Amino acid sequence: MAARVRNLLAALLLAAPAGARAQQPDTSAFSRALMAEGNNQYREAAQLYRASLHTVDRVSAVLGLERAYAQLGMTDSLIAPLDSLIAQFPAQPVFRDVQLRAYTMLARDDMARRSFEAWTRAMPGSPDPYRSYARLLLQANRAAQADSIIALAGRALGTTSSLQMELAQSRAALGQWESSAVAWRGALSAMPDLDQAAAYSLAPAPEPVREALQAVFLSLPVDLGARRALAELEMNWGAPSDAWAALRDLPPDSGSVSAWLDFGREAATGERWALARDAFVTALRARPTPELALQAATAALNAGDPQTALALAPAAGLDSAHTAATVLPLRVRALAAYGKPAEAEALVQGFAHLLLPVQRAALEQSVAFGWVRTGNLPKARAALGRAGPDADSSDAAGWLALYEGNLAGARAMLRNSNDASSALAAALGLITRMHEDTAADVGQAFLALARLDSASAAAAFAQAADHHADAASALLSMAAQIHVARHGDAAAVAIWQRILQDYPESPEAPGAELAWARQLRRAGSAAVAMQRLEHMILTYPESALVPQARRELELARQAIPGGGQGGPTR
Amino acid sequence: MKRRDWLRQMAVVAVGARFVRPAHWDVPQLLVPMDDAQADHLKAYGLTFAALKAGLKSEWLLNYRGGAFLLPDVAELRKEAALDGVSVESISDAALASVRGLIQNSNMDTVPLEKAPRVAVYTPPSAAPWDDAVTLALKYAGIPYTAVYDDEVERGDLTKYDWLHLHHEDFTGQFNKFYLAYRDAPWFIEMVQANLASARKYGFANIPALKKDVAGRIRQFVVNGGFLFAMCGATETLDLALAAEHVDIAGAFSDGTPMDPDADAKMDWSRALAFRDAHLETSPYVNSMSDIDGHQVNDPSRRQPLGTFTLFNFSAKFDPVASMLVQNHRSVINDFYGVTTSFTKPTLKPSDVVLAFEEGTPWVKYLHGDYGKGTWTYYGGHDPEDPEHAIGNPPTDLSLHKNSPGYRLILNNVLFPAAKKKPLKT
Repeated sequence: MAARVRNLLAALLLAAPAGARAQQPDTSAFSRALMAEGNNQYREAAQLYRASLHTVDRVSAVLGLERAYAQLGMTDSLIAPLDSLIAQFPAQPVFRDVQLRAYTMLARDDMARRSFEAWTRAMPGSPDPYRSYARLLLQANRAAQADSIIALAGRALGTTSSLQMELAQSRAALGQWESSAVAWRGALSAMPDLDQAAAYSLAPAPEPVREALQAVFLSLPVDLGARRALAELEMNWGAPSDAWAALRDLPPDSGSVSAWLDFGREAATGERWALARDAFVTALRARPTPELALQAATAALNAGDPQTALALAPAAGLDSAHTAATVLPLRVRALAAYGKPAEAEALVQGFAHLLLPVQRAALEQSVAFGWVRTGNLPKARAALGRAGPDADSSDAAGWLALYEGNLAGARAMLRNSNDASSALAAALGLITRMHEDTAADVGQAFLALARLDSASAAAAFAQAADHHADAASALLSMAAQIHVARHGDAAAVAIWQRILQDYPESPEAPGAELAWARQLRRAGSAAVAMQRLEHMILTYPESALVPQARRELELARQAIPGGGQGGPTR
Repeated sequence: MKRRDWLRQMAVVAVGARFVRPAHWDVPQLLVPMDDAQADHLKAYGLTFAALKAGLKSEWLLNYRGGAFLLPDVAELRKEAALDGVSVESISDAALASVRGLIQNSNMDTVPLEKAPRVAVYTPPSAAPWDDAVTLALKYAGIPYTAVYDDEVERGDLTKYDWLHLHHEDFTGQFNKFYLAYRDAPWFIEMVQANLASARKYGFANIPALKKDVAGRIRQFVVNGGFLFAMCGATETLDLALAAEHVDIAGAFSDGTPMDPDADAKMDWSRALAFRDAHLETSPYVNSMSDIDGHQVNDPSRRQPLGTFTLFNFSAKFDPVASMLVQNHRSVINDFYGVTTSFTKPTLKPSDVVLAFEEGTPWVKYLHGDYGKGTWTYYGGHDPEDPEHAIGNPPTDLSLHKNSPGYRLILNNVLFPAAKKKPLKT
């Protein structure tokens, strides 16, 4: 009945003399409607938009009316004016699109379907009705129906090339991951900016199908959008190295440089310095600039690759205040880290005239670290002397004191440091436990660690434990941590056992037992790990590590999910 | 030590304790507070269950400190509490006498807990425990359960259990109408094939016929004195399947024939446990079963927003059963969606006991009732700590929700069958 009334009204409107309708074009109505809508006066806006429907602003007016009615909860009132407009302008896609949206919003599925079919009849050969309807169905989580609409488009139009994005989304929602990836690949070649949408859509793909998805995006010809999407996807899957692998062999054009730089910045933000270095170096080859060279060199140095840093930040051109402030510190740090403190020292002295005292002091401290790493403590001390009086209380001086076994001096200087690194925290934690003012063997152990001689460092800390009863467990714990970092689990276990046997009341004992249990669980010995964890919880109930131990226990008992995908629920 | 071994050892301890002290309550007592002093509410239920399983009798102190438990103070229980991070307090005889005095003079009561119920969960054999809030809670609390499915139900194995849980099973045989969106998904195809094979194995023409029969056997389990606890879509669809014993309410996609056009009129609600006079959703394209659910989460045009629900405060002395089911340290709880989230008031039977409701809305959240010699409890929603859980979402890690009031309601139901039946005062 309502439809009949609507049709009658539409017919009456169309039958009205053209002159009569032309007499009342309210050309200002549309702008007043916009103002009313902007002031949240939706009822007034709706009236004014309706008045604009028969002016040249009719398309914008319909969209405004749709917004206003949605705010008023009166979407059903759109139907009648849309019917008459579509009768007048059957090929106007916006009117068709709004009608389809209105029926979908009103949950009138049968009418939405009829509206879609009428649109396809009015505009045969156009992909618009299929695209709009499929998108609406996807938004309503009706992926299977969206998929069937796309299939219909394939039959009617002979191709689904202009519906690749919708096809990709529907296939992803249906769990047809590989088919979705193929469709995304097609969509991305036309619209490379959809890379983030593709990555978002495919991110839930389960582990076993990921290799197939990678193959789709990596297949030839190389396509920038597809590769960017894959890189995003790999980052979502927690595989940053694979993300870089997706980008590194792109052809060196401006789009690729932009992708490499974006990736490099993201990697640097996440402190994945080796990947950042690779991305910046690749971009630098295609677009060499001093700024990019400096960025790449900084990433390389932070990645522990001073050799590359030195190659990227050449010594030439240092004779200006600007480069002295940027490239020089980097080269000095790189030379010091590369075991060439003499060259670093010469560089500082050669360009001293360009440096402010504070800059010089900082560089001398880097030089001092370089000498420390080569084990030349007198030279390090001399470098610190040149760094000025403030250097006597600097971090470098504190570390130097520690390496020389001067625990009192190290305590005094390092305690005031602003450095928040874990290395400093560990060193301070240990030396504040010791009551002696000097301990050459402990200094040697830290020095070995600074020289990256971790095997000697672990042995030295373990040996020092025999001579410093007040901090024996802490020294052993330090040795065990170094063994773990070197993947020397067997050596670490032996030390944890020693801590638990010889120093069961020490603060390190619960941590040692927890670390041991974790190692056991990693090695697949869940039952033994559970025994250790139960022992730890019951023996050290006041330890701050007990909540962590309980969680490990839950994981070992499989009482809580240990990661992975959820099943099909709800 | 494995929990199984521990339980065995505890049984020996319990037998020994009874031999030495025939009056078992002269042993010192351990109070398990369930108010905000409790570090892990969910594990506290596991501790109590383990004590019962080991033959140690316990007490549930209704409305006292959030529904505290009183357990024998034995070393093994203390050890288990320490391992699980459950807060326990030693309580002297004098303090306990004072607590009993307070309980006597307030809206509180004590309920003896005697025997750990035998727990079964109706779930497909392939389902992971993380698919279902109840199995998540049971796993986390360390409460053992047996998974049963159509084979076990058809064999009559339900008689082996005291307590049965149902979750997202669609007893109308329409797979929650997931066909609309997931018909091509491998997990959906696998699920349909497994159910179809099961139907044929037992001589049923289609899945809806098998599920109706399973629903009937579950109803019989309750009639015979079983405790039924259902959540999510199982609540609504169990009742629909029971009421539709002689009428086709399944869409053509599931049994090859369309729904009976007069299905609404032909429903026999006397067979249903909780609902009456509901109207069926006739369109196979609308992801809804009936108007029982107030929230209709899977139909965007009907979906209602989530609010909070409030637990009724019952008289512990006069309504101990309802009181047990609502013991909590919170009375207002955030709502959460499920295939069936809530229950509309007009579809409730007059005999239903409403345990929780949402203020100012036409629906309730948590229901209980007697049927035959048994009881049923329906709790709407899927996962109390994942309010908008969707297919494929990661499972909830309950070690991050140790004090969840929503999960407590589930575990109240697990312990409730352990209560010694007292003669009702009303």
